[in-house]
Amino acid sequence: MALSQMPHRLNRVAASPLGRALQHGDILFKGAIALSSLSLFGLMIGVGMMLWLRSGPMRANAGLSFITATVWNPVDEQFGAAPFVIGTLTTSLLAMIIAFPLGLFIAIFLAELCPTGLRGIVGFMVELLAAIPSVVYGAWGIFVFIPSFVTPVGNALMDALGNPQRFPYLPIFQGPFFGASRLAAGLILAVMILPTIAAISRDVLLAVPRSQREAALALGSTQWETIWQVVLPYGLSGILGAVILGLGRALGETMAVTMVIGNVAQLSTSLLSPGYTMASVIANEWGESRTPLYGSALIEIGLLLFIMSLLLNIVARLLVWSVARRTPEQRA
Amino acid sequence: MHQRVRRSSNIFMLGLTGLTTVVGIAPLVWILFDVFVRGASAISIRFLTDTFKPTSLGGGGIWHALVGTGILMGLASLFSVPLGILTALYVARNPNTLLGLAVRFGTDVLSGLPSIVVGLFVYALVVSGHGYSALAGGVALAILMLPIIVRTTEEMLKLVPKSLREASLALGAPEWKTSLQVWLPAAMTGILTGLMLAVARVAGETSPLIFTALGSNVLSTALDKPIASLPLVLFKYAVDPSKVRNAQAWAIALIIVALVLLLNISARLIATWRSKMMY
Amino acid sequence: MVTRKLLFVSLLAVALMVTACAPAAKVVKETVIVEKQVEKVVKETVVVAGTPQVKEAAKEVVVTATAKPVDAPNSINLNASGATFPQPLYEDWAFAFSQRDPSVVINYAGGGSGQGIKDIKAGTVDFAGSDALLKDADYQEKPELQMIPTVAGAVVLAYNIKGVTATITLDAAAVVGIYSGKIENWNDPALAALNPGVKFPDLPINVVHRSDGSGTTNIFTLYLSAVSEDWKKGPGAGTAVDWPVDKLGRGQGGKGNPGVAAAIQNTNGAIGYAELAYAKSNNILYAKMINAAGKTVEASIPSTVAAIKDAKFDGRLTAVIVNSKDPEAWPIAGFTYLIVHKDYKDCKKAEKLVSFINWALSDAAATSRASKLLYAPLPNEVMPRVIEVVNKITCNGKPVVTK
Repeated sequence: MALSQMPHRLNRVAASPLGRALQHGDILFKGAIALSSLSLFGLMIGVGMMLWLRSGPMRANAGLSFITATVWNPVDEQFGAAPFVIGTLTTSLLAMIIAFPLGLFIAIFLAELCPTGLRGIVGFMVELLAAIPSVVYGAWGIFVFIPSFVTPVGNALMDALGNPQRFPYLPIFQGPFFGASRLAAGLILAVMILPTIAAISRDVLLAVPRSQREAALALGSTQWETIWQVVLPYGLSGILGAVILGLGRALGETMAVTMVIGNVAQLSTSLLSPGYTMASVIANEWGESRTPLYGSALIEIGLLLFIMSLLLNIVARLLVWSVARRTPEQRA
Repeated sequence: MHQRVRRSSNIFMLGLTGLTTVVGIAPLVWILFDVFVRGASAISIRFLTDTFKPTSLGGGGIWHALVGTGILMGLASLFSVPLGILTALYVARNPNTLLGLAVRFGTDVLSGLPSIVVGLFVYALVVSGHGYSALAGGVALAILMLPIIVRTTEEMLKLVPKSLREASLALGAPEWKTSLQVWLPAAMTGILTGLMLAVARVAGETSPLIFTALGSNVLSTALDKPIASLPLVLFKYAVDPSKVRNAQAWAIALIIVALVLLLNISARLIATWRSKMMY
Repeated sequence: MVTRKLLFVSLLAVALMVTACAPAAKVVKETVIVEKQVEKVVKETVVVAGTPQVKEAAKEVVVTATAKPVDAPNSINLNASGATFPQPLYEDWAFAFSQRDPSVVINYAGGGSGQGIKDIKAGTVDFAGSDALLKDADYQEKPELQMIPTVAGAVVLAYNIKGVTATITLDAAAVVGIYSGKIENWNDPALAALNPGVKFPDLPINVVHRSDGSGTTNIFTLYLSAVSEDWKKGPGAGTAVDWPVDKLGRGQGGKGNPGVAAAIQNTNGAIGYAELAYAKSNNILYAKMINAAGKTVEASIPSTVAAIKDAKFDGRLTAVIVNSKDPEAWPIAGFTYLIVHKDYKDCKKAEKLVSFINWALSDAAATSRASKLLYAPLPNEVMPRVIEVVNKITCNGKPVVTK
């Protein structure tokens, strides 16, 4: 459209009644985008509210003791969430303990050492781990990972450290061990949250200003000393945020965990025993929760999950944000 | 002497990080290898075009699940894309208002929400009154896609140089026209990659569908009835004693992983191509 | 410029509307039913990569029929969920019935008796399958529900012990011992006494049970309660119980009968209870049992029929048949039921449902399919009562079947 013609046509449009209405369409537009933003925020509130309201009967029934009660017996209407809360925390913490050092080292490799050409590909491959759906991890867990990795490792741990006579104060590796266990769930979760920790830590490390590194190198540190003593402490809060985000992801994982954890609602001191997590019990038992109390007990477990992931998310974002705020953007 | 220790520990630790990266990527290679080898041996044209048959009759295929997944993806995109784009427009235009910050907070929370909780929410909202349906499944998946679409759209919108919008406004175009016909199209490839990533995220989601779409053994295109979906069928077939079903589960895993990989790689390629184009 | 764009957009909108409405005008699909169904037996080899056993031959039966169950806009869709106990049979029946009558499509989603009961009470499904009986409270809450027995099946103890390829024999005491946790290892003398020729390894027993609300659990625990006072006073019978082995760390939960069977298959040293069809069709070894009369029986149609011979059906058309005294009876047998509404709002659905159930109960083809999957038909004495109740199903007050 020729430049001279443009303003002319638009002026004509603006002058006509239709045109003026369209101009005031701005109000409609601004209203629409504000409304949709409100609805998104409202969605978050809605989820929280629905969980709160529908768990009402169970909360009225047991209050906070729901979280510490250890018996889950739907037939007798006895609902205690402790086995699931402990199960979730155990598997998630195990996953974090394994994934944190691995993820950190991968992030260091990607941020500091990787030749720039390779950086994109390797980083992409790490992120692909996060793209594989949970249910595929679960199927792989049942047919491949448990038989060929978890079982030998679990048996080795049990044989080496699980003898109640030799290590009476180390119950976590005591048998019996049948493959489907908290160990299996923790290991698979570790693989699943590794990319989260690695990718965000890498971004945090890349955001550390070059000047810091250069100063350390100028003073004669080796590269590793620079990383360990200067770069990492600088980005520590961000890395912590990455770990917490990974933990948050591990908390909510349903399918992969359900398929490898054994589905037994019992507290246990051993990693080699089967367990149950909050997300798994909801997935397995929601379909048949036929009394109102049963349903609201499961929803209260969902509420607990919601609150936990909400808190973790907030803390993590604050931590990551604090690193970004401190440093002026200087890409290495 | 001390120098030697420092130097060798330097090389050792740096080597360790490289080793860790290899160890970290190993599971990916392992899973992809298993999925491709085991899945490929069970895939056939008949498997893809046949619908469910009981194992006593051979096991059938997954056409009903392919159609179901397509419909669910379509519904989820239909619900989440307009809402997501409008929201992102608001946040990109008004980043520092209370609502803008609230929306950012909301998307962060929603993106960290366990998908099973989303399933519960949609059950209470939709299924309680109207039964299991494809619509309910679509709503659940849309809620999961929303944060990704909002975030990527917002970032893509911010990348568009302000001068473009200012030029349009200077020529007398109203705000809505500028946003919808100038700003948005300029960011369109980025928004599309965001959509692809969001679809890749929900392509494998199972738990929210368990109590919304329920799953079906029948080919169905109705929106108000239960519908099949690839991840649901994968879950059912993997936890099944029949070897035929297990083999089919691997084939489905292959299809889902291939789809997710394709979407992710395409999104990455488009992003690199676009950044090359911009400079 | 503006008007041209408007015109184009409106034309596009009209075009979209036309294409959206067009499929409704299209003819639905061909409904040619092939009279003679040719069964081709095709041997297909499934290669499981990376494991020592390279090839596994799976027999595939290909039924050529052109009428495929497709949910077209004007087909009648019956949705059901519920017990996995009869699921192989119901899926088979649903498929066969849709071939006979392509206007109806039946989707049986499974999920366990607990889910079936919940869904039928909530009204989210048209009918449900359940081996667990509705309680008085359920009937009070929803008096319009009716249970209809369909077939009887056998619950077997399936096991997976590396190195043991023989069929073992168990008695009531052994089963109670295993499930109460007292028998901890496969080399326990109690098991050796029952199986003199079998060499059991030194392997802890992994006891598999259901993780969901299950009618199969109900049948199994009714048996355990019938043969053991301790069990009756302890965990008792029900769709879900407190399993003693869980506290000992040797329990494992599987979702649905398929989940239990899969868990047994994937765990060395596992034993669990599952419906016969799941063990048989997946080549999982299952134990013979010594019944109440002291005889060693194998789970089969004859032993299931013997178990249900003297079944006494109550006014609600339900019966419990565990631990029958008949010498040929399989001790852990149970009926499975459909739960329907006594009155439906949708007449087309009600009509098709009644026709389906009548076909399933009386048609020779249906019964033979059931027998092939090792489900026993109802005893002749109770059949007329059941058919009568089925035909009493009404739609908006009017009976569906007019005789």
